[in-house]
Amino acid sequence: MKPLRPSHPYLFVAPTVMVLGVFFIYPLLLAFYRSFFAWDLLTEPIYVGAAHYATLWSSGELIETLGRTLSYSLVVVAFASSLGLCFAVGLNREGTIYAFVRGAIFSAYIVSWVAVGLLWLWILDGDAGILAVALRKLGLPATAWLSDPDTALMALAGVTVWKITGYAMVIFLAGLQDVPRSLLEAAALDGAGPWARFRHVTWPLLRPTAAFVATTSLILSFQAFDIVRVMTQGGPVKATTIFVYAIYESVFMNLRVGRASALTVVFFVLLLGLTGLQLWAWRLGRRTGGETA
Amino acid sequence: MTRRASMLSTVLLVLAGALWVGPYLWMVSTSFKSMQEIVKAPAVPIPSSLDPSAYAAVFEAVPVGRFFVNTLVMAVAIALLQIALALPAGYALAKLRFTGRRAAFGLVLACLIIPPQVTFVPVFTMLGSAGLVNTMAALVLPFGVSAFGTFLVRQAMLSVPDSIIEAARLDGASETYIIYRVLGPIVQPTLAALFLFSFVYHYSDYFWPLMMTTDDRVRTLPLAVALLREQGTGARWNIIMAGNVILSLPIFALFVVAQRRILRAVTARALS
Amino acid sequence: MTRLSRRHLLAALATAGCGSRELSPGEMSLWFTYGGRNRKVLLELVDRFHGAQSKVKVQPTFQGDYFEGLVKLRTGLFVGSTPTVTHVIGEVVPYLAEAGVLSPLSELEAEVKADIDPVLGQAGSFVGGDERPLYALPFNRSTPVAYYNKNAFQEAGLKPPTIWAEMREVARALTRRNGNRTERWGFECPIAWWFWIAMLGQAGGRVIEADGRVSLGGDAGVEALQHWQTMIHRDRSMKPPPGRDFNAWEATNSDFLAGRVAMIWTSTAFLSYLTDNASFELGVAPLPQQVRFSVPTGGTFFVMPAGVKGAEREAGLAFLRFMMSPASANHWATNTGYMPVSLTGRQRLEAQGFFDANPDFKVTLDQLAYAQAWPWAPELFRVQREAVQPRLEQAVLQQKDGAAMLAEARASLREAGIATGDAG
Repeated sequence: MKPLRPSHPYLFVAPTVMVLGVFFIYPLLLAFYRSFFAWDLLTEPIYVGAAHYATLWSSGELIETLGRTLSYSLVVVAFASSLGLCFAVGLNREGTIYAFVRGAIFSAYIVSWVAVGLLWLWILDGDAGILAVALRKLGLPATAWLSDPDTALMALAGVTVWKITGYAMVIFLAGLQDVPRSLLEAAALDGAGPWARFRHVTWPLLRPTAAFVATTSLILSFQAFDIVRVMTQGGPVKATTIFVYAIYESVFMNLRVGRASALTVVFFVLLLGLTGLQLWAWRLGRRTGGETA
Repeated sequence: MTRRASMLSTVLLVLAGALWVGPYLWMVSTSFKSMQEIVKAPAVPIPSSLDPSAYAAVFEAVPVGRFFVNTLVMAVAIALLQIALALPAGYALAKLRFTGRRAAFGLVLACLIIPPQVTFVPVFTMLGSAGLVNTMAALVLPFGVSAFGTFLVRQAMLSVPDSIIEAARLDGASETYIIYRVLGPIVQPTLAALFLFSFVYHYSDYFWPLMMTTDDRVRTLPLAVALLREQGTGARWNIIMAGNVILSLPIFALFVVAQRRILRAVTARALS
Repeated sequence: MTRLSRRHLLAALATAGCGSRELSPGEMSLWFTYGGRNRKVLLELVDRFHGAQSKVKVQPTFQGDYFEGLVKLRTGLFVGSTPTVTHVIGEVVPYLAEAGVLSPLSELEAEVKADIDPVLGQAGSFVGGDERPLYALPFNRSTPVAYYNKNAFQEAGLKPPTIWAEMREVARALTRRNGNRTERWGFECPIAWWFWIAMLGQAGGRVIEADGRVSLGGDAGVEALQHWQTMIHRDRSMKPPPGRDFNAWEATNSDFLAGRVAMIWTSTAFLSYLTDNASFELGVAPLPQQVRFSVPTGGTFFVMPAGVKGAEREAGLAFLRFMMSPASANHWATNTGYMPVSLTGRQRLEAQGFFDANPDFKVTLDQLAYAQAWPWAPELFRVQREAVQPRLEQAVLQQKDGAAMLAEARASLREAGIATGDAG
């Protein structure tokens, strides 16, 4: 439609653009600017050129942080998506019990990260936590997962999966409803078993939903902060210092605003790239795949 | 359904039940135990006696009422502000042709991936020089735009027939009137969904209130519960879990009451 | 020039009413970082202050642990939204003072000189501390001590160790294993800067040399690390606590109280807490020596941010005077385990026979004879948080070579523009 007055559309998007500009774009640009200085918030900033970027690379900190964040993210996305899909397909039945369990799974998603973090901190406690105690009673080995540098990150990933599987499940459930029954019935009449029906009818139609779940989970997992802050504070021995937490630590614990800004810029570019990559892969998949039965 | 599929479903049900309902039950159970019981017999599922002292301790350590009100006010304010801004933006993006439409769209998208830790220092400076640190404004304004909400509203607006808008224009209605008084009510289900989603999401805000508040005036409940892990004296899990229960109860209650709406809100974006 | 403009800016902001300084005359804000029992005692003291006079009202706010509180202070300083009074760990005082963000407390200098234990005050806690304006008043001052389970020790016929070699023997003797699982550890200690400094000193070194170069104790620093590494990985008698920063301290206390470990090193600050909650007989002993006895001091100092003026400043000073008074200092110390900072107050306690009745409280005071002052080095805090602490964890928990780790730490400091050097 044509706007009543040419200025109207701009006026209408202005508040949105202003808020985003002030609270997101400006800070990002400022971070870019500040990444060329060394600054501790209390004294004058000192110009250092691209030194921060160089140090981040040469000290290995960038690679390590990225490595940790990627392994965390990939595990979260893979497991949350597949579990979500499993539950969406397997628990998609009538009945109060099914509805109740689906509700329980989803409720983990809307409860706060603080609550989830504290709860699992308690459950995973190496000495008195229920998991450790139960494993020991069964004679199985039990470590303090959160204080062992080798397992801490995956423990966090596990908790994250627990929290966001509900989200994936609900999205898949909605997507499943879009699969026409007639197609499924036709396939059944043709003699296709449940697995074959899923592979050839349901899955191709669910692909865009899956791509959506994967993309949003990726963004969510890359932005993880609360859970690290509450459960491990980046430790033990930096094992859980993933990107956003590294930025926080740099600014507030170590007072290196310039270095944190450099990390921020890299983070933003990386996530933008990753998201773009995923969307491109999805569009590619849509064009070549997606045949109906 | 075949028997095998049925069995598989049951297995999944039991598994999911144990993994997702179990922890909550454990949380509640712990909150009613005494510290000695926790230390001596950590694995007992049901406490020998329901000891509510942990809850009393939470109320003593934290002004729960005030923080809860603060959290409510903040979450509601954010949700309302987002709706107020998303309506005109969604309208313009959906219905009006103008140059820069794609750019505006892209801008909103790009801001999706910027987490608050990244924007904190400059925003803190800005709010600080405006004297807004430790005020409700500092907790609400930066979240005034919801990318998700803008898309949702745009989506809903797309399915509103142009004829309604044209008719209203012919009647002499101003665009603002059309946006808020004509289209608003039409897309009301979407707005309700957005409200619920935003409310639930920002109820749990942790980092931003942590950094933006310096005293109890506008502090929020998630912060206070996180601070229950008081240092040096050994984690008192019953108190921490009691705090957890208090924190999560309102959300659970809301979920039970408005389950379908919340689900619709979450799934709406996926289907767009 | 730079520092001056910063101070002016902050002062201007404060007087312009920016930031959330909405305090009426006579009101002051206190940011504190204690939890649990010590928090109760602090709030008791605040109540007493209110009871003793009616002109000043204190608004205390809990800000998390020391490090969270420091973050809050720094960001608050940054926007000119600070409390009237807060407390910070000793290691960060030189940094804040040199950055010009603390108010000199000249009005209190005379009183401090008269009654505050110089070893605990700014004068003795920092090398050359008395040559500078008064920025910091000692509040909760501590040394690390060894707590031990008397019952367990008596059972095994052992006495608390006085040298490192004994420490290893004792820990080994008290470790009880059941198959693959250790039922009771002999020793536990948070892998923290503070305790490493203690051992570094005991091995004869200093973290920063007299000329200001950061040596990290040289060989002594490595020896300190190796002592832990040996006990954890070779003797398997020492349990490394989980968690980071103060979560590790918490875990150490819990393990000790639950009987999972027979002897721990932690702050004298937990004396009252551990005494109250131990189901066994609690013993307190000074730390052992290697070539000499040595302990760092710990705890925090009261500071007043720059820019606090007028009625608010008066209120803050009144509160500080109250907290430094013999009665308050004693109340604080005897209810927590921290050291009484007022000399008059300490004399009173002696006269009342307090230390005879509670010899555990004397252990930390006796150790003051071996207390090492911190260098007045603005980079001390950075050395601790960025260079050393993370590498301590790495070296000990991941069994990395101690000398290599400390060399790395020194290298990272050089990168940051801090001069390093060899010990001696």
